[in-house]
Amino acid sequence: MKADEFQLIKSAKEGDREALNDIFAREQKYIFNLMIQLTGDGALADDLTQETFLSAYQNMNKFRLQSSLRTWLSKIAINLFRREYRRKSKHVSICLEEIRIPSKEDIPERIIIKREFQWCILHSLQQHVPKNYRMVLVLRDLQNMSYREISETLSWSISKIKTCIHRGRKILRAHFINGKCKAFAEKDYLCICEEILDL
Amino acid sequence: MNCEEVRSLISEFYDQELNQEISRSLEKHLAGCIECQKEYDSFNKIMKVLNKLKTYDIPRNYLEGMKKKKKQNCFK
Repeated sequence: MKADEFQLIKSAKEGDREALNDIFAREQKYIFNLMIQLTGDGALADDLTQETFLSAYQNMNKFRLQSSLRTWLSKIAINLFRREYRRKSKHVSICLEEIRIPSKEDIPERIIIKREFQWCILHSLQQHVPKNYRMVLVLRDLQNMSYREISETLSWSISKIKTCIHRGRKILRAHFINGKCKAFAEKDYLCICEEILDL
Repeated sequence: MNCEEVRSLISEFYDQELNQEISRSLEKHLAGCIECQKEYDSFNKIMKVLNKLKTYDIPRNYLEGMKKKKKQNCFK
Protein backbone atom coordinates (compact mmCIF):
# COMPACT_ATOMS: atom_id res chain seq x y z
CA MET A 1 0.00 0.00 0.00
CA LYS A 2 1.30 3.50 -0.89
CA ALA A 3 2.30 5.75 2.02
CA ASP A 4 -0.21 8.52 1.17
CA GLU A 5 -3.03 5.99 0.85
CA PHE A 6 -2.09 4.50 4.21
CA GLN A 7 -2.14 7.94 5.84
CA LEU A 8 -5.48 8.89 4.26
CA ILE A 9 -7.06 5.60 5.35
CA LYS A 10 -5.77 6.09 8.87
CA SER A 11 -7.30 9.59 8.95
CA ALA A 12 -10.54 8.24 7.47
CA LYS A 13 -10.77 5.54 10.13
CA GLU A 14 -10.31 8.21 12.75
CA GLY A 15 -13.37 10.02 11.38
CA ASP A 16 -11.90 12.38 8.77
CA ARG A 17 -14.73 12.36 6.24
CA GLU A 18 -12.81 14.40 3.70
CA ALA A 19 -10.02 11.82 3.71
CA LEU A 20 -12.62 9.07 3.33
CA ASN A 21 -14.23 10.79 0.35
CA ASP A 22 -10.81 11.35 -1.16
CA ILE A 23 -9.75 7.69 -1.04
CA PHE A 24 -13.17 6.42 -2.16
CA ALA A 25 -13.30 8.90 -5.05
CA ARG A 26 -10.14 7.31 -6.48
CA GLU A 27 -11.81 3.89 -6.64
CA GLN A 28 -15.24 4.73 -8.08
CA LYS A 29 -14.36 4.15 -11.72
CA TYR A 30 -12.55 0.92 -10.88
CA ILE A 31 -15.46 -0.55 -8.94
CA PHE A 32 -18.05 0.55 -11.54
CA ASN A 33 -16.01 -1.10 -14.31
CA LEU A 34 -15.59 -4.26 -12.25
CA MET A 35 -19.37 -4.46 -11.82
CA ILE A 36 -20.20 -3.76 -15.46
CA GLN A 37 -17.68 -6.40 -16.58
CA LEU A 38 -19.20 -8.96 -14.24
CA THR A 39 -22.87 -8.18 -14.85
CA GLY A 40 -22.96 -6.72 -18.38
CA ASP A 41 -25.81 -4.55 -17.16
CA GLY A 42 -25.20 -0.82 -16.75
CA ALA A 43 -28.17 -0.20 -14.45
CA LEU A 44 -27.31 -3.16 -12.22
CA ALA A 45 -23.62 -2.16 -12.17
CA ASP A 46 -24.72 1.33 -11.13
CA ASP A 47 -26.82 -0.04 -8.24
CA LEU A 48 -24.12 -2.46 -7.06
CA THR A 49 -21.45 0.26 -7.15
CA GLN A 50 -23.65 2.50 -5.04
CA GLU A 51 -24.26 -0.36 -2.60
CA THR A 52 -20.53 -1.13 -2.45
CA PHE A 53 -19.69 2.40 -1.31
CA LEU A 54 -22.61 2.54 1.08
CA SER A 55 -21.44 -0.71 2.67
CA ALA A 56 -17.83 0.52 2.71
CA TYR A 57 -18.86 3.72 4.49
CA GLN A 58 -20.76 1.73 7.08
CA ASN A 59 -17.99 -0.82 7.61
CA MET A 60 -14.88 1.33 7.41
CA ASN A 61 -14.10 0.49 11.04
CA LYS A 62 -13.81 -3.19 10.01
CA PHE A 63 -11.11 -2.46 7.42
CA ARG A 64 -7.90 -3.73 9.05
CA LEU A 65 -5.40 -2.37 6.50
CA GLN A 66 -4.20 -5.89 5.80
CA SER A 67 -4.91 -5.47 2.09
CA SER A 68 -5.10 -2.44 -0.20
CA LEU A 69 -8.30 -0.39 -0.13
CA ARG A 70 -8.99 -1.48 -3.71
CA THR A 71 -8.83 -5.15 -2.74
CA TRP A 72 -11.12 -4.54 0.26
CA LEU A 73 -13.67 -2.62 -1.88
CA SER A 74 -13.49 -5.29 -4.59
CA LYS A 75 -14.25 -7.92 -1.97
CA ILE A 76 -17.40 -6.03 -0.89
CA ALA A 77 -18.41 -5.55 -4.54
CA ILE A 78 -17.84 -9.22 -5.41
CA ASN A 79 -19.95 -10.34 -2.45
CA LEU A 80 -22.78 -8.09 -3.62
CA PHE A 81 -22.43 -9.53 -7.12
CA ARG A 82 -22.57 -13.09 -5.72
CA ARG A 83 -25.74 -12.23 -3.81
CA GLU A 84 -27.29 -10.71 -6.94
CA TYR A 85 -26.25 -13.71 -9.02
CA ARG A 86 -28.00 -16.09 -6.63
CA ARG A 87 -31.13 -13.97 -6.82
CA LYS A 88 -31.24 -13.77 -10.59
CA SER A 89 -30.96 -16.68 -12.94
CA LYS A 90 -31.09 -15.52 -16.49
CA HIS A 91 -29.60 -16.25 -19.83
CA VAL A 92 -30.74 -14.98 -23.14
CA SER A 93 -28.21 -15.89 -25.79
CA ILE A 94 -28.01 -13.14 -28.32
CA CYS A 95 -24.55 -13.72 -29.72
CA LEU A 96 -23.85 -12.02 -32.98
CA GLU A 97 -23.91 -14.54 -35.77
CA GLU A 98 -22.65 -12.56 -38.69
CA ILE A 99 -21.03 -9.19 -39.12
CA ARG A 100 -19.71 -7.79 -42.36
CA ILE A 101 -16.41 -6.09 -41.71
CA PRO A 102 -16.39 -2.60 -43.27
CA SER A 103 -13.43 -1.59 -45.43
CA LYS A 104 -10.51 0.29 -43.91
CA GLU A 105 -11.68 3.55 -45.51
CA ASP A 106 -15.01 3.36 -43.74
CA ILE A 107 -13.94 4.63 -40.31
CA PRO A 108 -17.39 5.48 -38.78
CA GLU A 109 -18.71 2.05 -39.74
CA ARG A 110 -15.65 0.38 -38.22
CA ILE A 111 -16.11 2.26 -34.97
CA ILE A 112 -19.67 0.95 -34.74
CA ILE A 113 -18.48 -2.58 -35.47
CA LYS A 114 -15.75 -2.20 -32.84
CA ARG A 115 -18.43 -1.42 -30.25
CA GLU A 116 -20.39 -4.47 -31.35
CA PHE A 117 -17.32 -6.70 -31.09
CA GLN A 118 -16.56 -5.39 -27.64
CA TRP A 119 -20.12 -6.07 -26.66
CA CYS A 120 -19.85 -9.59 -28.09
CA ILE A 121 -16.66 -10.31 -26.13
CA LEU A 122 -18.19 -9.03 -22.90
CA HIS A 123 -21.38 -10.95 -23.61
CA SER A 124 -19.36 -14.14 -24.10
CA LEU A 125 -17.59 -13.54 -20.83
CA GLN A 126 -20.77 -12.77 -18.91
CA GLN A 127 -23.07 -15.39 -20.36
CA HIS A 128 -20.85 -18.28 -21.41
CA VAL A 129 -18.16 -18.42 -18.74
CA PRO A 130 -19.33 -19.86 -15.38
CA LYS A 131 -19.51 -17.35 -12.54
CA ASN A 132 -16.42 -18.45 -10.56
CA TYR A 133 -14.20 -18.47 -13.63
CA ARG A 134 -15.67 -15.18 -14.80
CA MET A 135 -14.85 -13.49 -11.51
CA VAL A 136 -11.17 -14.43 -11.70
CA LEU A 137 -10.91 -13.52 -15.39
CA VAL A 138 -12.40 -10.09 -14.81
CA LEU A 139 -10.14 -9.46 -11.81
CA ARG A 140 -7.04 -10.76 -13.58
CA ASP A 141 -7.44 -9.85 -17.25
CA LEU A 142 -9.64 -6.77 -17.15
CA GLN A 143 -8.66 -5.30 -13.79
CA ASN A 144 -5.02 -6.46 -13.76
CA MET A 145 -5.06 -7.77 -10.19
CA SER A 146 -2.19 -10.02 -9.09
CA TYR A 147 -2.87 -13.63 -8.09
CA ARG A 148 -2.31 -12.64 -4.45
CA GLU A 149 -4.81 -9.74 -4.64
CA ILE A 150 -7.42 -12.00 -6.26
CA SER A 151 -6.83 -14.56 -3.53
CA GLU A 152 -7.48 -11.87 -0.88
CA THR A 153 -10.53 -10.52 -2.70
CA LEU A 154 -12.24 -13.88 -3.14
CA SER A 155 -10.83 -15.57 -0.01
CA TRP A 156 -9.60 -18.46 -2.15
CA SER A 157 -6.21 -20.18 -2.18
CA ILE A 158 -3.64 -19.20 -4.83
CA SER A 159 -3.81 -22.71 -6.31
CA LYS A 160 -7.60 -22.41 -6.74
CA ILE A 161 -7.09 -19.01 -8.42
CA LYS A 162 -4.52 -20.51 -10.81
CA THR A 163 -6.86 -23.35 -11.74
CA CYS A 164 -9.83 -21.04 -12.29
CA ILE A 165 -7.83 -18.60 -14.44
CA HIS A 166 -6.55 -21.45 -16.58
CA ARG A 167 -9.98 -23.08 -17.00
CA GLY A 168 -11.79 -19.76 -17.48
CA ARG A 169 -9.46 -18.68 -20.28
CA LYS A 170 -9.79 -22.08 -21.89
CA ILE A 171 -13.60 -21.89 -21.83
CA LEU A 172 -13.61 -18.37 -23.25
CA ARG A 173 -11.23 -19.32 -26.02
CA ALA A 174 -13.21 -22.46 -26.82
CA HIS A 175 -16.37 -20.39 -26.94
CA PHE A 176 -14.93 -18.07 -29.57
CA ILE A 177 -13.49 -20.84 -31.66
CA ASN A 178 -16.10 -23.60 -31.35
CA GLY A 179 -19.23 -21.88 -30.15
CA LYS A 180 -21.65 -19.36 -31.46
CA CYS A 181 -18.87 -17.14 -32.79
CA LYS A 182 -17.70 -19.89 -35.13
CA ALA A 183 -18.62 -17.72 -38.08
CA PHE A 184 -15.93 -15.32 -37.00
CA ALA A 185 -13.42 -18.03 -36.20
CA GLU A 186 -13.72 -19.43 -39.69
CA LYS A 187 -12.96 -16.03 -41.15
CA ASP A 188 -9.98 -15.57 -38.88
CA TYR A 189 -12.26 -13.69 -36.51
CA LEU A 190 -9.64 -13.08 -33.85
CA CYS A 191 -7.32 -11.30 -36.26
CA ILE A 192 -10.16 -9.14 -37.55
CA CYS A 193 -11.31 -8.47 -34.03
CA GLU A 194 -7.86 -7.44 -32.94
CA GLU A 195 -7.50 -5.16 -35.95
CA ILE A 196 -10.85 -3.53 -35.22
CA LEU A 197 -9.96 -2.98 -31.57
CA ASP A 198 -6.78 -1.21 -32.73
CA LEU A 199 -8.86 1.53 -34.35
CA MET B 1 8.20 -31.34 -20.85
CA ASN B 2 5.49 -32.84 -23.08
CA CYS B 3 2.65 -31.10 -24.98
CA GLU B 4 0.04 -31.87 -22.31
CA GLU B 5 2.18 -30.37 -19.56
CA VAL B 6 2.94 -27.30 -21.66
CA ARG B 7 -0.73 -26.65 -22.40
CA SER B 8 -1.68 -26.95 -18.76
CA LEU B 9 0.91 -24.28 -17.89
CA ILE B 10 0.30 -21.80 -20.72
CA SER B 11 -1.90 -19.55 -18.58
CA GLU B 12 0.65 -19.29 -15.75
CA PHE B 13 3.42 -18.84 -18.30
CA TYR B 14 1.56 -15.90 -19.83
CA ASP B 15 1.14 -14.35 -16.36
CA GLN B 16 4.85 -14.92 -15.60
CA GLU B 17 3.92 -16.98 -12.56
CA LEU B 18 6.23 -19.91 -13.30
CA ASN B 19 9.71 -20.25 -11.86
CA GLN B 20 12.66 -19.67 -14.18
CA GLU B 21 13.49 -23.33 -14.63
CA ILE B 22 9.97 -24.33 -15.71
CA SER B 23 9.62 -21.21 -17.89
CA ARG B 24 12.81 -22.04 -19.75
CA SER B 25 11.76 -25.61 -20.24
CA LEU B 26 8.38 -24.45 -21.59
CA GLU B 27 10.00 -21.93 -23.93
CA LYS B 28 12.29 -24.64 -25.21
CA HIS B 29 9.31 -26.88 -25.95
CA LEU B 30 7.40 -24.04 -27.69
CA ALA B 31 10.38 -23.30 -29.91
CA GLY B 32 10.38 -26.86 -31.21
CA CYS B 33 6.66 -27.71 -31.32
CA ILE B 34 4.49 -26.09 -34.00
CA GLU B 35 1.20 -27.33 -32.51
CA CYS B 36 1.92 -25.89 -29.05
CA GLN B 37 3.19 -22.68 -30.64
CA LYS B 38 -0.13 -22.37 -32.51
CA GLU B 39 -2.01 -22.98 -29.26
CA TYR B 40 0.01 -20.30 -27.49
CA ASP B 41 -0.47 -17.78 -30.33
CA SER B 42 -4.21 -18.32 -30.28
CA PHE B 43 -4.20 -17.92 -26.49
CA ASN B 44 -2.23 -14.68 -26.85
CA LYS B 45 -4.76 -13.30 -29.32
CA ILE B 46 -7.62 -13.86 -26.89
CA MET B 47 -5.65 -12.19 -24.14
CA LYS B 48 -4.83 -9.19 -26.35
CA VAL B 49 -8.49 -8.76 -27.21
CA LEU B 50 -9.50 -8.96 -23.55
CA ASN B 51 -6.84 -6.49 -22.50
CA LYS B 52 -8.03 -3.98 -25.06
CA LEU B 53 -11.62 -3.82 -23.88
CA LYS B 54 -12.57 -0.26 -23.13
CA THR B 55 -13.26 1.09 -19.66
CA TYR B 56 -16.44 2.91 -18.84
CA ASP B 57 -16.78 6.31 -17.22
CA ILE B 58 -18.88 6.39 -14.09
CA PRO B 59 -22.44 7.58 -14.79
CA ARG B 60 -22.57 9.61 -11.56
CA ASN B 61 -20.61 10.44 -8.45
CA TYR B 62 -21.41 7.68 -5.96
CA LEU B 63 -20.05 9.67 -3.07
CA GLU B 64 -22.60 12.42 -3.72
CA GLY B 65 -25.22 9.73 -3.35
CA MET B 66 -23.67 8.83 -0.01
CA LYS B 67 -24.03 12.37 1.24
CA LYS B 68 -27.72 12.41 0.27
CA LYS B 69 -28.30 9.03 1.91
CA LYS B 70 -26.56 10.31 5.00
CA LYS B 71 -29.04 13.16 5.16
CA GLN B 72 -31.82 10.59 4.95
CA ASN B 73 -30.39 8.88 8.06
CA CYS B 74 -29.09 5.81 6.30
CA PHE B 75 -25.92 5.91 8.39
CA LYS B 76 -26.90 4.50 11.72
